Amino acid sequence: MSNPTQPQDKTEPTQQPQQQKPPVLEEDDEFEDFPVEDWSQEETEQAANGTNSHLWEESWDDDDAAEDFSKQLKEELKKVEASH
Amino acid sequence: MSGQGTPVLDRFLSGIADLLKTRDGAQLQDFLQIEPPLSDVYHQMAGELQRHYPNGSAKEEDLLRICDGLVPRTKGGSSWTAFPTFMKLYFSFLRDMNVENLLETYNLLKALLNQCVLALGDGQFGVIVLPTVLYLSKVLAKLAMGLDRRPDLIAHLLRIEGQSSQDDSVEKVTLVEKSANVVREAFIKCLTDRSVGTPGIQGKPGGKRIGIYLMANLCLKLLFQCGKLRNAEQMFASISAQSPPLKHFPASQRVTYLYYLGRYLFSNNLFFPAQTALQAAYDQCHHQALAQKRIILTYLIPCNIIMGRFPSAQLLQKPESQGLAEKFLPICRLIVRGDYIAFRDHLSENSPSTEWFARKGILLALRNRCEILAWRSLVRKVFIHGGFHGDPQGQGQRGPPPVLYLTKLEIAVRWLQSQHASSEAGAFTQSGLSTDAQAGHNHAGSQLVSKPPDSDFAGLHNVIFEETGVDQAIVAKFEDYLAPGGCFDSAGQWHNNLQGNLVDGPPHVDYGQYELDPYAHRNDAAVIPGSGKPTEMMRELESILASLLTQGLMRGYLTHRNPRFAIPGARLRGALPTGFPNVWQTISTREGEDDSVPGWVQPPAPAVATSLGASAAAGGRVVNLSGARPVGVQ
Repeated sequence: MSNPTQPQDKTEPTQQPQQQKPPVLEEDDEFEDFPVEDWSQEETEQAANGTNSHLWEESWDDDDAAEDFSKQLKEELKKVEASH
Repeated sequence: MSGQGTPVLDRFLSGIADLLKTRDGAQLQDFLQIEPPLSDVYHQMAGELQRHYPNGSAKEEDLLRICDGLVPRTKGGSSWTAFPTFMKLYFSFLRDMNVENLLETYNLLKALLNQCVLALGDGQFGVIVLPTVLYLSKVLAKLAMGLDRRPDLIAHLLRIEGQSSQDDSVEKVTLVEKSANVVREAFIKCLTDRSVGTPGIQGKPGGKRIGIYLMANLCLKLLFQCGKLRNAEQMFASISAQSPPLKHFPASQRVTYLYYLGRYLFSNNLFFPAQTALQAAYDQCHHQALAQKRIILTYLIPCNIIMGRFPSAQLLQKPESQGLAEKFLPICRLIVRGDYIAFRDHLSENSPSTEWFARKGILLALRNRCEILAWRSLVRKVFIHGGFHGDPQGQGQRGPPPVLYLTKLEIAVRWLQSQHASSEAGAFTQSGLSTDAQAGHNHAGSQLVSKPPDSDFAGLHNVIFEETGVDQAIVAKFEDYLAPGGCFDSAGQWHNNLQGNLVDGPPHVDYGQYELDPYAHRNDAAVIPGSGKPTEMMRELESILASLLTQGLMRGYLTHRNPRFAIPGARLRGALPTGFPNVWQTISTREGEDDSVPGWVQPPAPAVATSLGASAAAGGRVVNLSGARPVGVQ
């Protein structure tokens, strides 16, 4: 072996004693390194989602007059109108 | 090579020399281990160094000379002098490393990285140490961030050095920020490398330029950790000007970079480009990388909410979204309901919900940007139940446009305030009495929201100006003017006034005009029931509606004299879709006109359509003409 000093044990990631995380931090506060360097388009979230994925609601306006808030608002507006 | 009694060191040096000859940067980095636990050979080598080249001895010069021999000779001698110095520092680090003193370790490591970055700067050989620079940067970042979270580990050392908190006038530079500054130097070396390939934004990455985003991402991680986002601005500008297109880099680097870029843009209130970057980061992320996808969503979701697009049930049911629904859905529900008081309560300082948002750095953006959406919903509901929707029979004739008398909105707001103020309002209030609910009784300032009084003006309305006699309150307040310690008479002679007499006699003038008053006028006189004059609250509501109109979140016009909101041109599409257009479509149509994201380098124009990033960015954009105003609309 030409390079006898080459480190042998590189299987375990090194952990320094001071790296213990305090409990107040959520584990996902930090954006961790990816375990792999590169991946193909087929392995992406976009490919896994497919084309018919529906991630976002654009139309959320509430037209439900029977909903509690709307119902009370309607009654209040009627009440005030009647008193005028 | 070096002499007697250092067999491990000798073999190590000869290995390094071989690697330099073959320009094997990856293997070189593998050799230059520093992070404990180190394998035995490193301890043996450290022992040899301690025995033969002790710290502070004249022998250290010999060590440097030995390291000089490592560098490949070129004509007229080696010019890569930074590398031998780096190797000498590496050996010193190995020899002197003391994990009991983490501050010293940090400083040694930073100096080591600094020297390695200098070695990186060499046009011919620098690229060989690129993997080592990255490796050292990562270890330094890890150490700095670890110490940032556990300051108790080095507090005693900082005290000894007298660096703790003695001089508050000087801005403290944390270990994390110091690390970021070193890593940024490495980033610049990578970005400006001209040794291989075409420089600038046209070429593919080669040479040191393959390290651009590796170093940028690490630097950004550190800058986010220490809260110095401003320092990232120049980095993004340099990348825009000089980096090859992002698509030429590996997926992990792309996703990480787009994540940080998106967060940076979010922090700068550039929500549309932030959304584009974060959505691309999410789309290009490895589908199994749940932790990363989750963090991206933590910012992508509020970004969308702010622009009127809510996360779907499908998105919130994904494994990476676990727990996010309970954070974000209440906000969406309050926006939809239009209860601005409950919305403000939910994100107020006292609310238990806010801690998580604050820690993620999204609280203020949500609080400040989404309230207007709740107002839009409220106005919309009041219009549905109390507005004039136009004459459905009068299709052919020219009737009056749909209109909402704003007194109806005022009634609704007062009702909402009373609901929140009354103790039976359990249905609306989550946590006790809302301060905003009391705002309708404010003597000064807003009638809609509660603001704590500015301490400078506290007690102001208690000052009463007497018309007659000497007001002691005035004398006390303007004492230095009315009764100074002395004054000059008309002849220019100085007279002491130790008794505190009123030097100009009793004050006659109205000192009210010298008072600082933050309010243009006061509310008490303005609200006269039955007088026909609009109330203060009405004026405030008008300004909120004007803001909604300016932002395009409502369409129509306001009349001021008899406050109304009118929706002309509603015959074809109906009053609601015309007067209250879809929020997301309005914003995305307007913002999407410029689809470039600052800091995200795209390939030159013809290739844009096929780029992964561009297609992802275009995916969420609906191109339609709803943003075009109908003819005749002001």
